[in-house]
Amino acid sequence: MASHDVRDVLNLPSEGAGPRPTKKQKTSAARPNLKGLAREVQSLGGDNPIAIVPEISTFKKRRFGSRKPAARWEMSAFCNSARGDQSLQLRHWKKETEDQSRATSQPQSDGQTPGENGMEVAKKTDAVEDSSFAKFNVEVDVPQYSEDQYNSNLLSDDWAKHETDYLFGLARDFDLRWPLIWDRYDYTPQSPGNVKEEKDVDGTDPNTAMIPAPKPRTLEDLKKRYYEVAAKMMAVQKPVQYMTQAEFSLHETMANFNPVSEMQRKKFAQDALSRSTDEAREEEQLLIEVRRIVARQQKLNQERQDLYRRLDFPLTEQDITSFKSSAGLSTLLQNLATADRSKKRKPILDINVANTPGSAQPSAQPNSTPVSEGRRESIAASIGGHRDSIGGGERPERPTKKGAQQQQERKKLTEQEEQIYGVSHHDRLPSGPTFRYERINKILTTKSNAQHQRITNTLAELDIPGRLNMPTRNVVEGMEKLLNSISVLLEIRKLNDKLDGEIRLEQAKKAERKKTGTTIGASGSEGSSGPASANTNEATNRTNGENTGLTSANKESNDDDRPTSKPTTNGAVNGEKYELTNGHDAKSSEQANAENREDKSMRPASSGGYKRSASVLSGVSEKSIKRLKK
Amino acid sequence: MAPPAGKRVKGVQVFRPFVYGTTARPFNDTDHPRPAGVSPDHTHSWEVFVKGVEDTDVFYWLRRVQFKLHESIPNHLRTIDAETIVKENEALTGGKSSKKPQKGFVINETGWGEFEITIKLYYDSKSGEKPQTLYHHLRLHPYGRNEAEKEAMRTGGEVIAWTYEEQVFNEPFEEFYKTLTSGARDKGTPAPGAGGRGKGKGKNAFASAATGTEGDVKERSAMIPLATRPGQPFSRETEEAELKRLREAEEKVHRMITGLNKTVKAKEEELAALKASNKAAAAAGSSAA
Repeated sequence: MASHDVRDVLNLPSEGAGPRPTKKQKTSAARPNLKGLAREVQSLGGDNPIAIVPEISTFKKRRFGSRKPAARWEMSAFCNSARGDQSLQLRHWKKETEDQSRATSQPQSDGQTPGENGMEVAKKTDAVEDSSFAKFNVEVDVPQYSEDQYNSNLLSDDWAKHETDYLFGLARDFDLRWPLIWDRYDYTPQSPGNVKEEKDVDGTDPNTAMIPAPKPRTLEDLKKRYYEVAAKMMAVQKPVQYMTQAEFSLHETMANFNPVSEMQRKKFAQDALSRSTDEAREEEQLLIEVRRIVARQQKLNQERQDLYRRLDFPLTEQDITSFKSSAGLSTLLQNLATADRSKKRKPILDINVANTPGSAQPSAQPNSTPVSEGRRESIAASIGGHRDSIGGGERPERPTKKGAQQQQERKKLTEQEEQIYGVSHHDRLPSGPTFRYERINKILTTKSNAQHQRITNTLAELDIPGRLNMPTRNVVEGMEKLLNSISVLLEIRKLNDKLDGEIRLEQAKKAERKKTGTTIGASGSEGSSGPASANTNEATNRTNGENTGLTSANKESNDDDRPTSKPTTNGAVNGEKYELTNGHDAKSSEQANAENREDKSMRPASSGGYKRSASVLSGVSEKSIKRLKK
Repeated sequence: MAPPAGKRVKGVQVFRPFVYGTTARPFNDTDHPRPAGVSPDHTHSWEVFVKGVEDTDVFYWLRRVQFKLHESIPNHLRTIDAETIVKENEALTGGKSSKKPQKGFVINETGWGEFEITIKLYYDSKSGEKPQTLYHHLRLHPYGRNEAEKEAMRTGGEVIAWTYEEQVFNEPFEEFYKTLTSGARDKGTPAPGAGGRGKGKGKNAFASAATGTEGDVKERSAMIPLATRPGQPFSRETEEAELKRLREAEEKVHRMITGLNKTVKAKEEELAALKASNKAAAAAGSSAA
């Protein structure tokens, strides 16, 4: 019996309308579920539901007719193409598919032995079945490179090719799971046997060759090398301009990988995780403090700007001709007066007041305050990313005011677009149009004629055409480098020739000394040996000069030689001592000198003083110098 | 020329590749007879041209080209305006004509002698730049650094003297910079409305950048084709080959330098030794005296 019935009987006031309807609702909700006899019995109870209603639990009859026959399962063999060992065959239970079951049932009706068709099925599945999990074995696409490509693009001081290969092998093995790669990274440098060959080529002793110690590599080092190589190979296969957007962004992220910042990020995370609660609290407080300082700073800045604005002289962009007449002047005065008044009136931060009519000039100013500038910059920057969707509409049409604003107004190109449009940035540029090849031209034309000739000769020697086929930026840079090294080469050649000349001179002197040694021995003999030696010297000099072929270089070197050739006067002084003994030698030398002077008169006459008194010796050496000069 | 409004874009360099040069064909009786009215002295027909790489549009930055031919040729100063070419092309696309639209500045002539052609390039009026001059030697007869090259040209039937060049605009004016850095699109796609400058075209370029076929050059870009094709000898491949050759040459030069350095060092030592011995001998001689 429910409590409210009791209350009813006792005529007690009910507790409220609440419980009853809920109960009713419950019963009414329960009612529709009942069926057949049970419902009838229930309805007998009226509002008061009968607590116990007999309910015949009915079970649904299973309809055997529509039921499919039990599924057939079979033990079938399968292989897994994802595995390395293809010979391995495993078997598993598998539901027979339709055609297979038909295939099994049909032969049975034909009266064949089940053993045979079992084999048949096995064969069939053997041919077809691959593990359904094979597809989950995804191979990572690790970039490949050939020997040639490595040498031209990927060389690195830090990484040998062998180690790079090793890294890429690991990356492939562990599907680019970097922690794993790092964990297993155990590179042993090339065995000494391999190294030996290379070292031998280098000419160092293989016994003393050091086995390079394996460098400890951090995770970031590995990543950096991998991304570097991957990005470069990507660019090699497809120049940046031709990449699609997705490829390009991938290339960018790989090329711009920064191991240092990555390391810092990790360190920071580590620190953040390992700090104590006290430290955390302190940090939080500091952050709040910083926020407060920044906020105050902003406010201070704003106030300061307002102050500046008040002090600032309003720049005018308008034409001043209207103010040139006296009427114009009076209006200007009025304008200024109103501006002044409005300035006085307006509160510090109220810009709207400045925009009131009659104060046109000062109102132009707030537009260009650094605050709004900064905002605009950020807008421009945000536009830069997807400039096309919002670009033109949002940017305000402003009159060109300053260079800085211009810079902001110009749309920012992505790196890819810069490649497409051939845009590059330089520190300093002479403005105006030029041609790319001009630079090479300039290098060549600024050189002297002889030098130009020498450079073109060297280029021909190297089989480089005088005019570049394709003077693109890279090619021009390459050409510049080449020209630089060619000029170095020419310098060295010049030095070489000069040394040749000097050596020849010294050798000649030595030879003469020997000769004089003999002439001293045979003091009475005639000076016939002198001219003879001169002749031989001449001959050698001439042939040498022809051999070097660079006459101008010779000339220069001999000009430089002059101070070094002075010591020949020593010889002359020595010779003087023998002058008395063989007098006609001196005579002949005089003759020779006269000839020389007639021939070239290259030497100033003042220096001829010692010549006259010199013996054959000096004459000879003089002559040889002259020949060299020639 | 009135200076254009705006400023130069500081520190920026934009380039456009183009090709100029001459193509000459000798007259012969079989397949290239001398047309009527041409002087019997003339032995070749030739053309001189300035055009974009892969026949891309150049008219948006190159306004006019003046070819200065030899004085003996009647009307030897030939000026071609981009405007007239564009108009002619439009007329061609409208009417059904067998003539193909022109892609560059071309002059056809006949003659018998080689001479230097002065090519003066006038830039788009937005650029505000002064005209620049190029010189090109008209080649009628096969040439080359060796016989094989000459022979190849002889069998080809045409004497080709083409030069690749890059027009570099240093610090272009704002407006010209905009022209140069917008409107890239794939070849074959029609140009967006002539009036819609700036944003509309930029969008087009952006969309096409993602869908463009590989290795193809976009109109109004500074791109160079990836691979060489017949009639288009200038490509990344050619550049690569050239770079390789330069690198090899440089290596060779370096080897020569190191070799020479060694010999120079040896010679210096030899010289020092000689000098020392000579000096000693001289000293000995003087002391003996």
